[in-house]
Amino acid sequence: MTVPALDPFVEFIRSTRMSQVFRNEVAWLWPLCESLHFLGLILLIGAAGFFDLRLMGFMKGVSLRSAKKFVPWAMMGFAVNLLTGLIFFISQPQQYATNLAMWLKVVFLLVAGINAMLFETSFSDRLMALDAGADTPMSAKVIGAVSLMSWFAVLYFGRMLPYLDPNPRSGV
Amino acid sequence: MASDPSLLAYPTILTLHTVGMAIVVGTCVVMDLRLLGIATEVPLTALRQAPRLVWTGFIINAATGIALFTTDAEHKATQTVFFVKLSLIFLALAVYARIRTLVFRRPGAMTMPLAREAKALAILSLILWTGATVAGRLMAYLL
Repeated sequence: MTVPALDPFVEFIRSTRMSQVFRNEVAWLWPLCESLHFLGLILLIGAAGFFDLRLMGFMKGVSLRSAKKFVPWAMMGFAVNLLTGLIFFISQPQQYATNLAMWLKVVFLLVAGINAMLFETSFSDRLMALDAGADTPMSAKVIGAVSLMSWFAVLYFGRMLPYLDPNPRSGV
Repeated sequence: MASDPSLLAYPTILTLHTVGMAIVVGTCVVMDLRLLGIATEVPLTALRQAPRLVWTGFIINAATGIALFTTDAEHKATQTVFFVKLSLIFLALAVYARIRTLVFRRPGAMTMPLAREAKALAILSLILWTGATVAGRLMAYLL
């Protein structure tokens, strides 16, 4: 994918001191961030997946209130991945800014985020009152399934990013 | 987009390997956190289905792992970090099997206070899976 309108933005990021340091002066930064990005994804999908599965009606012996105790750990994984993801972007913006897989990844990040917000604002209070053993309503099952599928879609487009839409300019 | 679908076969297998990792390690990490006292309101009996998820993910990754190995066997067979990764996975699975026996198979164990051994094993499991994940990632960077 080429988006000439984004070229000045990419060039600007690349020209910043931070980008140059990340790219040229800290050889171990990229592998370190890659490792942390994978550990973050494990924490995010493991912990959020547990809550999503309960929303979908699995493990009825766990109350939704208890299952939600794992959600802060998912947020921690997300924070690690947001930070390391920003470092990737600042180091090599030309690999990401005009990459279709990157934009699809962002779309599914937004789906996951909006879905979680919708849950918090409109469904959480009622569902959190459910006791252990109770089945969840269809709305909860849909929210859980959308969440789980969008996180795996984020993983899919993230991992496929260098292959789905290779950037001729990336040269790394 | 790549025009020849076969060009995407390798990335697809690689991505499936990452999906399998998220399932295996994600499930183990959640179980480890619970054993270490996070979300103690979650009854251990609820985690009894975890082995099924771990095995599903493990089978995906054994299959995709073999496929990935065959695409680049001459190189990977010489990578120290590859053998480090395999050893760490083997040890992590052994720890997982021990946790399963200790916590899920012993009658009444799930309602009793957790043995100190279970917590030690959970910490060990977190360390081994972290090591295996990092070693896997570093295969792309180390000779």
